[in-house]
Amino acid sequence: MGQHKEVFYPLPPVLVLFSIVFFFSDNQIRFVKSTLWYHGYDRPELYRLPSDGSAGSRELLLAFSWLLHRLSLLEQLLARNRVQTGDEISVCTCEDDLPNSQKGITDIAPEYGLEDGVDVRYLQWLNGRLRFQWRSLHAQHQELCKLLHKIHLFTSGSHMDQILGHFSVTETDLVRQPENYKQLIQLLESETMQLEAFLEWKQLEPVYWQWMVMNQTDFGRTFLQKSTILFPPPLFFLFSLQVKTGGEELQKEGFSAAARKIQENVELKLLDLTYLCAPKKNKMHGSCRLVFRSKHSASKTAVSATEVIRELQMREASLERELKQLREECRQRLDEIAEGLDGVICISPLKR
Amino acid sequence: MSIVTVQLGQCGNQIGHEVFNAICSDVHGTHGLCSKKENESYHDACKERFFCEEESEVPIARAVLVDMEPKVISQTLSMAARSGYWKYDDRSHFCQKQGSGNNWANGYSVHGPRHKEVIMNLVQKEAEKCDRLGGFFTIMSMAGGTGSGLGAFVTQCLRDAFPTSFILNHVIWPYGTGEVIVQNYNSVLTLSHLYQSSDALLVHENDVIHKICAQLMNIKQISFRDVNQVIAHQLGSVFQPTYTAEGGLHYSRNPLGDLMETLVPHPEFKMLGLRNIPQMPENSLAYSTFSWPGLLKHLRQMLIANAKMEEGIDWQVQPPRLGSSLPSSHSTNRPLHFNTSIANLVILRGKDTHSVDLGSFRDPSLYTSWLNPQDAFNAWKTPRAFNKYEKSASLVSNSQFLLKPLDNVVGKAWNMFASKAYIHQYTKFGIEEEDFLDSFTALEQVISSYTIL
Repeated sequence: MGQHKEVFYPLPPVLVLFSIVFFFSDNQIRFVKSTLWYHGYDRPELYRLPSDGSAGSRELLLAFSWLLHRLSLLEQLLARNRVQTGDEISVCTCEDDLPNSQKGITDIAPEYGLEDGVDVRYLQWLNGRLRFQWRSLHAQHQELCKLLHKIHLFTSGSHMDQILGHFSVTETDLVRQPENYKQLIQLLESETMQLEAFLEWKQLEPVYWQWMVMNQTDFGRTFLQKSTILFPPPLFFLFSLQVKTGGEELQKEGFSAAARKIQENVELKLLDLTYLCAPKKNKMHGSCRLVFRSKHSASKTAVSATEVIRELQMREASLERELKQLREECRQRLDEIAEGLDGVICISPLKR
Repeated sequence: MSIVTVQLGQCGNQIGHEVFNAICSDVHGTHGLCSKKENESYHDACKERFFCEEESEVPIARAVLVDMEPKVISQTLSMAARSGYWKYDDRSHFCQKQGSGNNWANGYSVHGPRHKEVIMNLVQKEAEKCDRLGGFFTIMSMAGGTGSGLGAFVTQCLRDAFPTSFILNHVIWPYGTGEVIVQNYNSVLTLSHLYQSSDALLVHENDVIHKICAQLMNIKQISFRDVNQVIAHQLGSVFQPTYTAEGGLHYSRNPLGDLMETLVPHPEFKMLGLRNIPQMPENSLAYSTFSWPGLLKHLRQMLIANAKMEEGIDWQVQPPRLGSSLPSSHSTNRPLHFNTSIANLVILRGKDTHSVDLGSFRDPSLYTSWLNPQDAFNAWKTPRAFNKYEKSASLVSNSQFLLKPLDNVVGKAWNMFASKAYIHQYTKFGIEEEDFLDSFTALEQVISSYTIL
């Protein structure tokens, strides 16, 4: 009964590649379109393609080339398929840098207003399920960490490599079941072949781009990237606040307390902003091998878990401040709305 | 993955002990009615969930025992040890010399904060023993002083210390003709506080279990032990291992998480009722056979008509006809006495569970308008029979089961509050009138949410 709605989900680019190759169903076509949209591909001809897969091989070629260039698709695929003999863990202390095209999504969403209306309780239900699933995942992850720790602890001192010091899970498994080495070798051989193929591609790559430019007339236009300029936040606003609260010396008790509060708030805001405006320092990001170390052995190249934890805690605190502020704003807005309505009281949930 | 049980107060400790007993005797029973391999998987899953096997000879229950008096705890510890099949960790308990006189405020504002560190240390130790912490299961009575006040405080502490863990509160609803004069105050305060920290409240009503003992189990002189054993059987039928997915290959390792996700994702609807069928005296079991269609027909009618047990069901109550001219979200469309569900979970144990038809539970007219049966109904199964019952079906339901009892308790408490009776007992320990009002407001909101389903 309801209309076909386009819903956009952000997805890893690798899945787009597979979807492009096997173009059968209407669902998969929407899937591919939505992922391309998420990554900022804004060539309208692609999105106008029919959902039965009957046309569009040229558009797909363009889109594929765009992905290849823009997302370093092959490098990402190689990274994903890497054979891991150590225990890997992914670290990310980056800000939530949404790609620019994400802004488009929030503007589009209201257009697709659902005619029938959805009961908000159902949405709350779904949200709750998602949260429970996240919590289950979290518990599983904690178990993984606990067991990794046990393995690392129990195999300490056994590794030939003194720097590592202990076995990884793969290594421990090999010790217990040596016949599995065959499988590992197969994987390593397959990885080597992929790398060799990649190197070959790199040699021939200029030919591909030249061919694209010469034969696909829209190619240049598609690749014209709009430059993105980060607008600096209105620092002037903060300076003016500081001037007001900083230099003044007020004798009155009540007022100085308020002034102190304002100054604290300003300092916090400044902290947030310097954080935002600071030149992008080397954020820890990517996969690392997890190694268990005693406290005193430091290493230049290694990233310590405590460092990462500290960074993430700072980030968490800043996000919590933001959340608190947004909640307060929301509460105020609700109070205003409730005031306008006759006979309606707004009761906020029990606060502990 | 493991569940840490926190037994609070006299009621909590006695019930907790019966629960571990029931679980252990089920696992060691020979009436599994399944293959050896299946039995072993079941055994292992159950062990991981509830017991810890350290260097000792018998498995140790993953539990923390808390009470303000020493008597019940020491009885509980020694009875468990005497069974020879399992025991509690000798250090995993906390008690004081004197009780809290059924005073909620005393439990919540005085004993709680005073002993918080010791109690939470015990909990932390149990949690650390688990490779995977599957959550907390607290057992308490709503009406007494220790279990309820201290229990509410401890639940809050659990939530603060373990923000992402699953917390399920098992709550005993007191007899209507109360044991304690301020039981309605205690109940209101307990429920409103638990609602904030807990993920779900699983309720057993004393009156109902008492009737089951009298009418189904044919017990003449009903003791608390009898009541507790029925409760333990019902809880065991929910928490023993099951396959939660169709065609699942392994017993679920996330029982609390799975339960929460299917039944209580919506923060306003956390009240869960429990029904189990069949229930009969052990010596009659050998002479009885059951069919799944018969059991499920009864269970479904128990759900619809809000019957507490399989006898005396009102078969006249039927779900409303769908597709009537009134909009489906209109609650007055529904016939009186019909129990509207938000979500239901059916758990089947024993012979032939794979071929059971659960279509009747997927009828959309059973459920509230904003949830369809795919989202609202789930079934867990295992071929392994439970506690000597060849076939056993349980229903955990998030529905209007508890609407009337809740409304009753709040109503009675409010009437008492209107004349400020006994309030000084609470204000003396820091629970002010405003706290009462907040609690009433919170529960009225819950009542309203459940009423307009």
